[in-house]
Amino acid sequence: MHRGASLFLLATLLACSQDASRESAAVTQSTVSEVVTIYATNYPLAYFAERIAGDRGEVVFPAPPDVDPASWSPDAQTIVEYQQADLIVLNGAGYAAWVAKAALPRSRLLDTTSAMADRVIPLENAVTHSHGPTAEHSHGGTAFTTWLDLDMATEQARSILEALVRIRPDHESEFRQAFISLEADLREFDRQLMRVAEKIGDRPVLFSHPVYQYLERRYGLNGVSVHWEPDAIPEEVLWDQLQALRQQHAARIMIWEADPLPETRRRLADLGIECVVFQPGGNRPAAGDLLDVVRRGIAGLEGAAASR
Amino acid sequence: MIEINDLRFDYGTGDFCLDIPHLRVNEGETVAVVGPSGSGKTTLLNLIAGIAKPQSGRIVTGAADISGLDDAAVRNFRIANIGLVFQEFELLEYLNVLDNVLLPYRISGSLRLDSAVVQRAEELLTSVGIGDKLDRYPDNLSQGEKQRVAVCRALLVKPPLLLADEPTGNLDVMNKGRVLDILFDYARDHSATLVIVTHDRDLFDRFERIIDFKQFFDDTRGAAPGKPQDE
Amino acid sequence: MFYLAWRYLSYNRWKTSILVGSIMLIIYLPVGLNVVVEQSGEHLTARAEATPLLVGAKGSPLELVLNSLYFSSKIPEVMKYSEATSIMQSGLAEAIPLYVRFRSRAQPIVGTSVEYFGFRELLLASGRMVALLGECVLGAAAAAALDLQPGDSVVSSPETAFDLAGIYPLKMQVVGVLEPSFTPDDQAIFVDIKTAWIIAGLGHGHQDLARSEAASAVLNRTGGNIVANASVVQFNEVNESNIDTFHFHGDLAQYPLTAVIAHPHDQKSGVILMGRYVDGGAPSQILQPEDVVDELLETILTIQQFIVAAVIIVAIATIATAALVFLLSLRLRRREIETIGKIGGGRWHVVSMLLTEIVIVLILSGGMATMLTILTWRYGSAIIEGFVLS
Repeated sequence: MHRGASLFLLATLLACSQDASRESAAVTQSTVSEVVTIYATNYPLAYFAERIAGDRGEVVFPAPPDVDPASWSPDAQTIVEYQQADLIVLNGAGYAAWVAKAALPRSRLLDTTSAMADRVIPLENAVTHSHGPTAEHSHGGTAFTTWLDLDMATEQARSILEALVRIRPDHESEFRQAFISLEADLREFDRQLMRVAEKIGDRPVLFSHPVYQYLERRYGLNGVSVHWEPDAIPEEVLWDQLQALRQQHAARIMIWEADPLPETRRRLADLGIECVVFQPGGNRPAAGDLLDVVRRGIAGLEGAAASR
Repeated sequence: MIEINDLRFDYGTGDFCLDIPHLRVNEGETVAVVGPSGSGKTTLLNLIAGIAKPQSGRIVTGAADISGLDDAAVRNFRIANIGLVFQEFELLEYLNVLDNVLLPYRISGSLRLDSAVVQRAEELLTSVGIGDKLDRYPDNLSQGEKQRVAVCRALLVKPPLLLADEPTGNLDVMNKGRVLDILFDYARDHSATLVIVTHDRDLFDRFERIIDFKQFFDDTRGAAPGKPQDE
Repeated sequence: MFYLAWRYLSYNRWKTSILVGSIMLIIYLPVGLNVVVEQSGEHLTARAEATPLLVGAKGSPLELVLNSLYFSSKIPEVMKYSEATSIMQSGLAEAIPLYVRFRSRAQPIVGTSVEYFGFRELLLASGRMVALLGECVLGAAAAAALDLQPGDSVVSSPETAFDLAGIYPLKMQVVGVLEPSFTPDDQAIFVDIKTAWIIAGLGHGHQDLARSEAASAVLNRTGGNIVANASVVQFNEVNESNIDTFHFHGDLAQYPLTAVIAHPHDQKSGVILMGRYVDGGAPSQILQPEDVVDELLETILTIQQFIVAAVIIVAIATIATAALVFLLSLRLRRREIETIGKIGGGRWHVVSMLLTEIVIVLILSGGMATMLTILTWRYGSAIIEGFVLS
């Protein structure tokens, strides 16, 4: 009798221990606030977002300053931070392979070159693979430093503007004003680059790394890429290859992504090749901003154009 | 004290009739009722206990004229004043020894069951040698033990009148003696009236009086009224 | 009288148990069934109401709803990933892709996007959200059933035992466990949609075919393309050392989904979106899960009514049988009743004892039926849903 009553009570208590109240925001929803959180996958996009969003945006570009964002992979916790953003700005064109391996909220992703797919440059001599004779080929790869074509860069910035207007339509006029200013700057540098490229004409140039495809195409440079590291003395075989290359492509200007070593610079000078530094600008510069990087690059090209 | 006057009882079937002009048992007397089967011995006990109601006549049991009481009053009187012991023990199979002894208190509206009663029941059972079997059920008792339980049930209310119908009929010699000792000891110690129906002539010496139904059975064979004969 | 009645019932425990059990059943069955149906209905309806629109390949709406909302093992026809992109690009709704095809033992593996968790308001109890290929987050019940926590791993089950050319199990890293939500999400293993495609064999990681170590896996080289043969070693888990090798062949837009949850930005957008599928030309269907579940519940209600009618008939028979048993037992107890009468118990005592026995049986039956009903209320719908959705 007593055992039966205890069992009854226990069952009643068990049944009453139901759902607790649930509060707080969902897992990946960022807190709704006035400030738009924007995560970028490279510095140029972060710069565009900063210029356009101004005080209305908090722009985060989490790659360490000493890495190339194109090949950087964030750790899982950083990816979780990306997930919390109101807007995740991607370069597209195959930039940042980690994006394809990450779980990012599609509704908040912005591929800034998706509307310019026809302007993306496929890489030559890329090694692809397939499984079996009839299987689909894997993507061979595309050049991804799209912002070096300042016209494309302007369009990338415009796509950021449109995204911000969708997210915060109440600040549309602010965003548009800011974009107009940015566009003006980019167009001015675009014109300057056009002018200096005219001065260079079709004189052959060399690129130390195959990262200047968009610069080459936009500004009509007659360039060939080698694969030389600025912080290493090229091996003799590379010098030999350079000599052979110069038989068909007698370049006197070599565009570097960073300052080459003095010995490299000297030896190139002996060959009659002037080194010009034009940083691709994928990551934050040590000094200044993206436009400073472009300005310095233009200045270097102008100097080389005049002397060579 | 029992007094019967001009009692007439039959079962309505026409083949038996009990006719008792007068019968008196004094207080504290020990009486054996003997006679052949069917002579009316059990019927007499039932009439005295108020279990059966006569068609006519008067029965005074103790201080109550039970022939004049209604059914409920008779039952209340019986349960508090008369201890009944049956040949077949008539224990309830689903009650243990203690609960069987306490049964009168559980079915009576007038008797109050309290811890003192329970203690008395336990003492009674101990005194008859089954104090260690209070939790046992009738299925797990010997015949002698069952009858001792039945006797304790009858004695628990401290009745002034004990009626036992062939209480030793189903017992062996040793248990027979034990049960009778309990009954006679109680009657002696409490000055209670003891009436026992028995076939066993070996026991006659223990009684102060014998009521023999044989004679009146012979007389009543053929549906004539019968009268018990005192010896 | 209560004591005597109780002692009688306790002594005859088999008879009492059968009586109590029978009466308990006829009380419990209609009540319990009603609780289960109502609760299940509430759960199903709540889940359906929380899902505004569902898009899937044309076919059984019920199958689509059961697989997408309750992760049933019946897999609907697949649709293309481009459908989700199209819905998202329309600007009318958030499009959350679903690929619910695989299982790890009994737990469904739900391939989706991180937006799913915000949409369903799922909270993390421990660990973190899925960030990379090959990672998974477990629902609370799934974690308990598989006895896993962040840092452990779980393997997907092959679809068939001897699927030589098919889907290989993928070992996934558990990175988080969700708080209980008391929905089917508690049973699920959540992965990014791309991880689900890897399980399906649409994406994989393998040794770099351009390297000399992979020479034996090369079938031929044509221009800049290397064709691999069947001996190429494919990885069955994604980890830090091999994640860069994982890739997908072909156009992701053609990849399969089992459904898309469309969360319209507002009512008007929802109506417009539905209108796009109404003309019948689209390869997919759009539906409101609430409507499908309502239809299902109507069917269940009809079945319930039939069952209750049957139970009533059985109840009448049971009561008649119980009455017969009682009357028969009275005959068997005549001696006992006589004894009580002889000792001095009145007719009323006997009647009240017998009535008390009946009342005790009814109370026990009612009490047990109540307990069972409470347990049914607590667990029944989960059992039924598991049965229906398995």
